[in-house]
Amino acid sequence: MATFDVELVDIVKDFESGGNRVRAVDRVSVAIEDGEFFALLGPSGCGKTTTLRLIAGFEQPTSGRILIRGRAMEGIPAYHRPVNTVFQDYALFPHLTVEQNIMFGLQMEGVDKKDARKRALEALEQVRLLGVGKRKPHQLSGGQQQRVALARALVKQPAVLLLDEPLGALDLKLRKNMQYELKALQRDVGITFIYVTHDQEEAITMADRIAVMNEGVMLQVGTPKEIYEHPETHFVADFIGETNFIPGTLLGRDDDGYGRVKLADGTVIRAQLSHALASEALAVTVAIRPERIGIFTPLGPPDESGERHTPLNPPKALGGGIDASGVTVLDAVVADSQYIGTDTRYTLALGGEIELVARLQNVNNKDGASFEVGQRVNVHWGESNTTVLDQ
Amino acid sequence: MLINEGAMQRNRRIRRLGQAGLRLNPIFAYFFLWAPILVLVLFSFNSSRSVASFTGFTLKWYGNILNNVMGAESAFSTELMLNAFRNSLFVGTVATAISTVLGTMIALAMARGKFPGKGLIDGLLFLPVVIPEITQAISLAIFFKVAFDWFALLSGERVFPGFHTIIAAHVTFNISYVAIVVRARLADMNPRLEEAANDLGANPWRAFWRVTFPLILPGVISGALLAFTLSLDDFVITFFTSGVGTTTLPVFVYGLLKLTVTPEVNAISTIMMVLSTLLIGISLAMQGRGASRV
Repeated sequence: MATFDVELVDIVKDFESGGNRVRAVDRVSVAIEDGEFFALLGPSGCGKTTTLRLIAGFEQPTSGRILIRGRAMEGIPAYHRPVNTVFQDYALFPHLTVEQNIMFGLQMEGVDKKDARKRALEALEQVRLLGVGKRKPHQLSGGQQQRVALARALVKQPAVLLLDEPLGALDLKLRKNMQYELKALQRDVGITFIYVTHDQEEAITMADRIAVMNEGVMLQVGTPKEIYEHPETHFVADFIGETNFIPGTLLGRDDDGYGRVKLADGTVIRAQLSHALASEALAVTVAIRPERIGIFTPLGPPDESGERHTPLNPPKALGGGIDASGVTVLDAVVADSQYIGTDTRYTLALGGEIELVARLQNVNNKDGASFEVGQRVNVHWGESNTTVLDQ
Repeated sequence: MLINEGAMQRNRRIRRLGQAGLRLNPIFAYFFLWAPILVLVLFSFNSSRSVASFTGFTLKWYGNILNNVMGAESAFSTELMLNAFRNSLFVGTVATAISTVLGTMIALAMARGKFPGKGLIDGLLFLPVVIPEITQAISLAIFFKVAFDWFALLSGERVFPGFHTIIAAHVTFNISYVAIVVRARLADMNPRLEEAANDLGANPWRAFWRVTFPLILPGVISGALLAFTLSLDDFVITFFTSGVGTTTLPVFVYGLLKLTVTPEVNAISTIMMVLSTLLIGISLAMQGRGASRV
């Protein structure tokens, strides 16, 4: 039997707006495991919230099937589904006290008042918010309201908890704290979390798996590491973190999953091919993360013995192109440097009007890892850090 | 830059004049608004029966009304007037009850429902508010006549206008006011709250009574008070739809104008005014209540 908590099979959702059909969710299929922290990540309007609302039962899919714990959800209204939602604006009942808010769901199940109150207090303790039970929601801070919303949903002990940008309204510091707390809470209760966010950092730090969505399509599903290290599309690479995109022409494919790409200045480099790359693709983009690019001066200053050597651990062959060691080395000129605290961000001009951004950590080094604007340098990266994507 | 002392002085004088005018403006405006009412209130305390002059302060006329209510003997005209007042209260209460339920239901359908022709119904809702009262009065009178004629033709029994026609007529215009007030309240309400209730296991019926209704209740009460006040004050529509023995207070007072205005009429008009002001005041307070909350 499947251990999936939530399965979406070919879900399509169209909205009518002024006679136009707008496709909010486009053939989404995904299976979410029991106890998983699953993030739906994408820009606003990408269909992530609609997907969540389809699971909650607030919207009905135009076509496709939703299964929760193996049970088809078609025709089952929101109030009979084993899921609960934490809304973006919390949606606490303003006319009820905090306690009554949390008791509401239990009373709908027929739990008697005394038991419901006891469990409400336990839920408040769980979200570390005791002593506010008699207050009205508007008397609480945003962070406290967020906890109440969480307690109100968790007290129902749902199979799946749906969270719609629950931290969106909080300030940065509180958001960071809540990220850790939410993650710890999820580990404690063991409930499957489906977490909608547009914040890639939030998704990466909290989720077990991430689904990146754009224009209603689920582009890629994977662990944060897979998504970050091996983006399959231009959009995913661009949306998650900072990425350099170098246009080029694919000359040929090697047996080991790598390809040879000719860049604008004629240099040929070897790069890892994305699984999602179209088999006939010729015009491609090579993606590489700024922190995976190393910089060194061709030759450092002479030491006491008069010998000159490079300050960083340099590859054997200099001067660019393909190297048997799996390292790509190219000539460049430092076009700009930007100090950003822990790192320095260098803009590097390569031949053929290619510009790359490299991030170097400001570690404790007296010489070497600091470069002047206009300085001639070599840039290098391991071939396994690159991904060849469709243009 | 040169400073023209003369021009500055002139400007200052004009500004001062303008400010004085601004201060006078509300005094004039409120005088026109309130002077006639003040005269009425004043003469309800006049010891003379005539409105020609104010001869001294008395509570006699209020006393007459009170005596009659308590069952003591009083003038026949006062008894008729109080009878009319009772009719007004009866019509107002029944019409308010019906129109509040129907108006609230329409408001809910408008705010939450999706159905063809919603825009049209939305527009029609404002019709009783904007069309001249006399038009509505005549159309209602004709409608009842036609309806009763058909009824007589079909059943052989003749129905005459009475409380039922007045109440039906009052309901027709009150529905609009209730619906408009309740809908404003619904528009302020976060639609996610109903979804949250559903999400927590409440079916639509329980979600309505546990969440939606408590939140729109101030709007419903406000609409009901407005409807009751309008019902109590209505003359034109009531005049065209009333039958024998169902005279309401405004219609009765109008009838008196052909004879003489008794001081008791002044007194009861003052009471009506205080009552209406009170109800509208409560209605407005209810509309504002809780509006600042989520």
